[in-house]
Amino acid sequence: MWSTAAREALQPITCPFCGLLCDDLTLDTTDPAQPRLAGGCERARTESTRALTQASAHCLVDGAVVGLETALTRCAERLSQSQAPLLAGLATDVNGMRAALALADGCGATLDHMGGDALFRNLLVVQDGGWLTTTLTEARNRADLVLLVGTECHTRFPRLVERVLAPPEALFGEVAERHYVLLGPWSETAVPSDLPRDRTTVVEAPKDQLANLGSLLRGLVAGRPARADAIPAVDGAQLTALAEQLLQASYAVVVWSAGELAAPHAELEIQTWVELVRDLNETTRAAALPLAGTLGDITTNQVCTWQSGYPLRTSFQHAGPSYDPLLNRYQDLLAREEADCLLWIDAVSGEQSVPATSIPTLILGRADMSFERPPEVFIPVGVPGIHHPGHWYRSDAACPLPLGQLRDSDLPSVAQVLGQLLERLRAQA
Amino acid sequence: MLIKLSGGTLIDPANGIDGEVRDLYIHDGRILHEAPQGERPQKTYDLGGKLVMAGAIDLHTHIGGGKVNIARAMLPDDQRSHPRERTALTRSGGGHAAPSTLAAGYRYAEMGYTSCFEPAIIPTNARQAHMEMADTPMVDTGGYAMLGNDDLLLQLMSEGVSQEVINDYVAWTLHATQCIGIKTVNPGGISAFKFNARELDIDERHPHYPLRPRDIVRTLSRALAELGVPHPLHVHASNLGVPGNHSSTLATIEAAEGFPIHLTHIQFHAYGTEGDRKFSSAGAEIAEAVNHRKNVSIDVGQVMFGQTVTISGDTMHQHANRSHAHPRKWTCMDIECEAGCGVVPFRYKDKNFVNALQWAIGLELFLMVDDPWRVFLTTDHPNGAPFTSYPHLIRLLMDRTFRNEQLAQINPDAAAMSLLGSLERQYSLYEIAIMTRAAPARILGLADRGHLGAGARADITVYRPSDDAERMFGTPMLVFKDGQVVVEEGRITAPVKGSTQVIRPEYDRAIEQRIGKWLDRYHSIGMANFRISDEEMAEGIGSPVEIHACRPRSAA
Ligand code: SF4
Ligand SMILES: [Zn+2]
Repeated sequence: MWSTAAREALQPITCPFCGLLCDDLTLDTTDPAQPRLAGGCERARTESTRALTQASAHCLVDGAVVGLETALTRCAERLSQSQAPLLAGLATDVNGMRAALALADGCGATLDHMGGDALFRNLLVVQDGGWLTTTLTEARNRADLVLLVGTECHTRFPRLVERVLAPPEALFGEVAERHYVLLGPWSETAVPSDLPRDRTTVVEAPKDQLANLGSLLRGLVAGRPARADAIPAVDGAQLTALAEQLLQASYAVVVWSAGELAAPHAELEIQTWVELVRDLNETTRAAALPLAGTLGDITTNQVCTWQSGYPLRTSFQHAGPSYDPLLNRYQDLLAREEADCLLWIDAVSGEQSVPATSIPTLILGRADMSFERPPEVFIPVGVPGIHHPGHWYRSDAACPLPLGQLRDSDLPSVAQVLGQLLERLRAQA
Repeated sequence: MLIKLSGGTLIDPANGIDGEVRDLYIHDGRILHEAPQGERPQKTYDLGGKLVMAGAIDLHTHIGGGKVNIARAMLPDDQRSHPRERTALTRSGGGHAAPSTLAAGYRYAEMGYTSCFEPAIIPTNARQAHMEMADTPMVDTGGYAMLGNDDLLLQLMSEGVSQEVINDYVAWTLHATQCIGIKTVNPGGISAFKFNARELDIDERHPHYPLRPRDIVRTLSRALAELGVPHPLHVHASNLGVPGNHSSTLATIEAAEGFPIHLTHIQFHAYGTEGDRKFSSAGAEIAEAVNHRKNVSIDVGQVMFGQTVTISGDTMHQHANRSHAHPRKWTCMDIECEAGCGVVPFRYKDKNFVNALQWAIGLELFLMVDDPWRVFLTTDHPNGAPFTSYPHLIRLLMDRTFRNEQLAQINPDAAAMSLLGSLERQYSLYEIAIMTRAAPARILGLADRGHLGAGARADITVYRPSDDAERMFGTPMLVFKDGQVVVEEGRITAPVKGSTQVIRPEYDRAIEQRIGKWLDRYHSIGMANFRISDEEMAEGIGSPVEIHACRPRSAA
């Protein structure tokens, strides 16, 4: 629920700590001094406790405590001097990203998200050929066969099985007849304990063979003369059976998390899964469920796309946006010294996320953010969904949800800080 | 501040005014016909010889929401080939078929439009649609929520609940999604596609629910009539783009059983199967049916030649059209047990028989439907063409010589199969003003816009008359939004933000328990988050709501 007033206890609360965006949490205020999130997963409780109890922080300029005005003045100076500012990190909410886009258009900055690599593994596939996907509720009610690619989906998205893959009941078909196939190096990992053992099949495969496995599976599904045992480390009989299962399923759902698929040119692997899904739709129904959205990659990409017409990795250096998913990768811009000022935004992760660079660095970060080296400017900002309300996109990109405010806070939001910064830049111009 | 518009020639069909020279005043964002006692205008515009109309209203344009953003993400070349640079007043960001929200708002205003309505809002995606529209500057916006493929409605209907329960659910949906109308897209068909059905004609039974599309059309059109919602059920009929679909279109009209019904982009639903290529125009039959049934209104969804992208909730037919994708990419998505979407880029070619005939069928419909109050000027942006082609379309309607020149350019077999060359009608400025202003305001229940009467919102467009209607409508001389000049000579001079137009029919809150339980059991979003509050619209989404009146509710 959108709420600008700090919460009473026990209202449904939306969790901003992974792309599932569970909205069934509550606030436990038994101890008013120490409000805690109840429900949700372990990560939600740890992260929210950390965010709720973080000490307040001050703005810093060159390591010295200053007021917000002074910090903003320094930021404005730096940005107006800069020929090629980089606005990256971008772990923020919809309004934070709206402000980032206005600022980028105003000062000629380039935009990229801290999770850009994973985001673009999927996006390059969409731009190349498109895809066929489904959403959490649809998969929850309709899947009769679930193919999990890789071994990390359920740890990256802790309530995936509970809320989507194996819910207590579904509208169509019996959840008790749903089958699960896990593809990946599962011998090294514990199979999710909330999946039913008798209906879960593990197809053991090394990580670097997943792309080949996908192609082979496509061949088998299409009835092409493919040798099921062509990949030495993978059981061919299992693949033949899987191909048949996919063809027989009414609604197979193929799940991956691009953040996990980190091999070079992982987009080619993702493309294989996308094409497998599309092949299946020639005769039956199937859909992909790409998991993402943690730290706001989907959120900021959506806003960037509607306002600029392009996804992230777009630069406003010239008179309008120009998009280049390869050239505008923030790590490379820093490494090639093509940026001369970094404005890093991380209102969510609380990790040590700031990239090492020698160019002037301005940070909008959580109050409890730690640095290896103090940046030129640090402005502490609130966490959306904890200190101020906001909007955040779920993994499936179809459902932005409102984030409430859990406690009173004098921390400004990213949107507020960037808005003031843009005003200053305009006043100077 | 008092502004005087002096000596303009008014074309104001809502008030029966066709070409009268009159002064208008603008005060507090409203139109006055007399200056308030004792006040003198601080600014006067001499509009002698200029044409004055209300701001234009587009009642069907895909400008916001998930599927539009998928189209943008898929088509960076659309941006690259149509850049729009920042100016001292406006932001950058261009595009043509799938423009950025900023470009869409600027361009609409530059063409004299002041309100635009997104016709396909999936309820769980309503926030996104409103956020995108909030970022579409210059115009007021609104949307139609999609029902008729959502499992809750299909379940309720299958259980045989009373019409009143349906009405409550429909009303709740309008409240929760902050919408002004209800649309149904391929009724039942998007859901059927999830069960692997590849077609669902109007009288075919849904593969899972004991329902036919006909039942859905009747139930929803009745619900809106009984709730007193001004806008009739907005229907994207079954069998989009399928040769011979005119019969399901006619059956859809019948399915409303006399309740008001609006058939959208009817051009795509007016195809016969005659001729060697088994594809022909059914424009005449459809126009005749519309002419005879006063409960029916349509918008055309005119096709124009060139590159565009088709974006629709109709996954069933978008998936079927994937092989026509140009460039060769397409996306489909099943969404939240509510609906779906499909994005397929497409290039309409004038030398292609089918595309050329589609173009001709659209114009036939415009010219053969007699009553301009019941036919609306749309290209179903961007499905038939981007909205930027409206001035060209207006010229085709107003200028027979020009139209016949264009007809001579298209595929000759298509031209030969169309009645278009024999149609002599030319739209008048008055009729254009009806279909782009007065009629959309009336059919949406927007009492304060679409006209120049005293008290109306001062959304006003001033044109220099020209024999070339395309030029005239492409670059108005002045555009006022809420009484402020925002465009001069076709350029933005003051960027402004609009508001969201909504409607609030009354309903029995008992339905919320049922919806809440359903969401808790099956969905992944709870009731509290499903619903968008007014506070959220104003503060978070950034587009405050303006509530329009319902008609009195009638008994179920
Ligand atoms: S699964 Fe993700 S969204 Fe859900 S409670 Fe855990 S961290 Fe939060
Ligand atoms: Zn449409």
